Amino acid sequence: MNIVIVGAGVVGAAICAQLALENHNITLVDTNYSALTDISNRCDVFGVIGNGADLSTLKKASVDKADLLIAVTSSDEINILCCAAAKKLGVKSTIARVRNPEYSELMSFMRSELNLSMTINPELAVAKEIYRMLRFPSATKTDTFCRGRVDVAQFTVSKDSSICGSTLNELRSKLNIRFLVCATLRDGEALIPTGHFTIEAGDVLCVTAPEDEITKFFKAIGVYKHPVKNILISGGGRTTYYLEALLKKGKIKSTVIEKNEKICRELAEDFDCTVICNDSADQNVLLEEGLANADAFLALSNEDEENAIVSMYAKTKTEGRIITMIKSISYVDLFRGVGLDSIVSPKTSTATYIMRYVRSMANVRSSEIESLQKLMDDRVEALEFLIKQNIPELTNIPLKELKLRRGVLIACIVHNDKVIIPSGNDVISRGDTVIIITTEAQIKEIGEILK
Amino acid sequence: MNYRMIGYLLGLILLIEAALMMLPLSTALIFGENVMPFIITVLIILAVALPFALFKPKNSQIYTKEGFVTVAAGWILLSAFGALPFVISGTIPNYINAFFETVSGFTTTGATILSNIEALPKGLLFWRSFTHWIGGMGVLVFVLAILPSSGGQAMYLMRAEVPGPTKGKLVPKMRQTALILYGIYFVLTIFQVLALLICSFPLYDALVTTFATAGTGGFSVLNASIAGYNNPAAEWVIAVFMLLFGLNFNLYFLLLIRKVKDVFKSEELRAYIIICAASTVAIAINTAHMFNGLEECLRISFFQVSSIMTTTGFVTSNFGLWPVFSKSIIIILMIVGACAGSTAGGLKVSRILILLKNIAKEFKRIVRPRSVNVVRLDGEVLSPETVHIATGYLTVYITIIIITVLCVSLDGFSFETNFTATLSCINNVGPILGDIGPTGNMYDFSYPSKIILSLNMLIGRLEIMPMIVLFSPSTWRKR
Repeated sequence: MNIVIVGAGVVGAAICAQLALENHNITLVDTNYSALTDISNRCDVFGVIGNGADLSTLKKASVDKADLLIAVTSSDEINILCCAAAKKLGVKSTIARVRNPEYSELMSFMRSELNLSMTINPELAVAKEIYRMLRFPSATKTDTFCRGRVDVAQFTVSKDSSICGSTLNELRSKLNIRFLVCATLRDGEALIPTGHFTIEAGDVLCVTAPEDEITKFFKAIGVYKHPVKNILISGGGRTTYYLEALLKKGKIKSTVIEKNEKICRELAEDFDCTVICNDSADQNVLLEEGLANADAFLALSNEDEENAIVSMYAKTKTEGRIITMIKSISYVDLFRGVGLDSIVSPKTSTATYIMRYVRSMANVRSSEIESLQKLMDDRVEALEFLIKQNIPELTNIPLKELKLRRGVLIACIVHNDKVIIPSGNDVISRGDTVIIITTEAQIKEIGEILK
Repeated sequence: MNYRMIGYLLGLILLIEAALMMLPLSTALIFGENVMPFIITVLIILAVALPFALFKPKNSQIYTKEGFVTVAAGWILLSAFGALPFVISGTIPNYINAFFETVSGFTTTGATILSNIEALPKGLLFWRSFTHWIGGMGVLVFVLAILPSSGGQAMYLMRAEVPGPTKGKLVPKMRQTALILYGIYFVLTIFQVLALLICSFPLYDALVTTFATAGTGGFSVLNASIAGYNNPAAEWVIAVFMLLFGLNFNLYFLLLIRKVKDVFKSEELRAYIIICAASTVAIAINTAHMFNGLEECLRISFFQVSSIMTTTGFVTSNFGLWPVFSKSIIIILMIVGACAGSTAGGLKVSRILILLKNIAKEFKRIVRPRSVNVVRLDGEVLSPETVHIATGYLTVYITIIIITVLCVSLDGFSFETNFTATLSCINNVGPILGDIGPTGNMYDFSYPSKIILSLNMLIGRLEIMPMIVLFSPSTWRKR
């Protein structure tokens, strides 16, 4: 596909690197010469210097021949204008990053009138991710497939866990719950485990199960945590605003600590949460507002360093869930090293969202991918396929007889609206939705999972 | 430093050289000559390169430094192994002489140490000229064109090999850019072969002459260079094709995608044509008394201007005997060179344009210290960095020339000889003036001088930086 990316910031760079690996023709537009050369030295992309909302720049980037334009500059207005102009020049689809909440109400208008194919709001994306994590407190990260019917939960095996040392086969026969460990991460290396995989402390496991069973699984292995009821949030930025809206829906109580009086007032007016106008980096304030008893502590202020330090402090005071928002991607690994395991980042979420869209678009012609999710820090992919026709080597054959490629796992089959966590005797038939977990990033068609 | 990846890439480059040697090998077969020199060389290359090239390292990430080191070391290795057939066959028994000849081939210089070229077997002469064709567009660009998408690292290699102050891609994908460049190169080559065949050149001569023209190299298979053919029509054809190969290849691409307007917008193209035309007229007037008639005078001036400016170095007239004014123009043309993004050497017209415009800008600033000025090329504002790099390039270029002239002068030739030999090598031109003259050869230089001049050719072809990076101690120091 010919893709034009406007904006060579962190998100632009992340998408560029990924898309260039997936063999798309990428043109990157930015006004900043050094940012542009920096990326075009690292990735196989074509740089054009200029303002993305400028018609001559867009023409120079051959927008008229492009399939997709992604506008991810720091300015909402430029992004929207750029998409509108590009659409007039003949680009097929456009994606714009729009983060101002006042504009987000115009989303549907922009989609229909300006022909935007998709708008992404980084803070909203991250708020949604946090909300999902709160609903499954035992896991460090969760995701859903098949429109929410199947959950994928990611968690780290602790040293004193009862499952340490047992293989997956043993665990399955012991627990008698429908679940599947679909990927593991050990010492930074992702692996699709077989039944003989022995769990060790420190492993990160990715578990699939139907929604009600995943709770049972966590209970059974003894890491179950009650769903959160009260949350302490430090920082009242946009992410907090979006999150509060979601929490309101989920009827979860929260306390927000924010220094800025105006923001506090806004939050108090719009939501029925407790708003404390005080310094959230102050230990006494945190303790006074019930840090020790909170089910979850979220560090969502605009300062990465403050978020990290406050989270590290909170870790010593509470048993509850701690989620840290880090805006600068280069910090993420740094802070993970010091024990903050639930880190969210608006930029990563944005990039993931866009990649999901681009892949689904790129694959429309060749295959039947319904959705694509990345797990384990982008090392593992979960692909959703709808089986539209019978494939002789694949359908109606018991799974244990299939000759699957290495690094590929059939994690889940949805047959007649029923979620099946497959065993060796299950079969895939026409009309099923199948979820494939793979460490190989290049699978585009269901047929490719076979040897 | 990712030594394993560098080793892998170098192994690949050598394998490609071995594959390319099949062509001269088959030529030798066709003419019924001894093919052993080539077979032994290919076997040696395989033995050395295969262990490196077979296993692609897991960590294939390389950066600018590795890119420069790979390119510089790659070119040195290419020449080192490319010299073997000459040594093994015994035609150039001394290895340093053979190395000089091969470096001169790959860097498209065309300076030779052979006094009787016609005595060499046809297969070896084919290889000698073919190195021009390989070196003209660059070996790593070729690697990029044939290798499946190698990700981001490709840019680091291309940057180090493609001449010119600004390195642009034609299309978003590196590999396609490389393919397009080679495609244009190939098509132009075929056109010239056909044109020469029409001028009643034998196929073999048409091929080797075209290789030398396409790479803007200048090796000829005759002792008297192109003058030896005594074929005025062919001289016109070769002169025009030399100019064509000295053009920025991006312009051909613009023509292909029908952006003719943009082609004529190119200031470099205009300057290139103006310099060429002006020099031709000046030399023609200055040397008119030496030739019979207008056609011969124009033809020889045009041919010589085109040959020197594109740094090819073919000779149709012993310009060592020309008046000093004409010789001076020839020396200036050696330094100017042709367009960026072509197969030619020299400083490049666009770099000179940038430097001159920058001087104009600085003058303006001296007169009005608070005025804000920019340097434009083709209507686009150049980043200060580009201008900065161009001035830096000139400084290093002059420094290297001074050092080389000093070293070479130990041999005891006249200053004109040493100076033009240095210019000829660093600009990849070929012929020299002075004691030796354009029709002579460089056999009489001492071995240390030959090695220094070989390095100069490599420095000139790779535009200085890669060689400096390769030989600077900080590259090899562990951090």
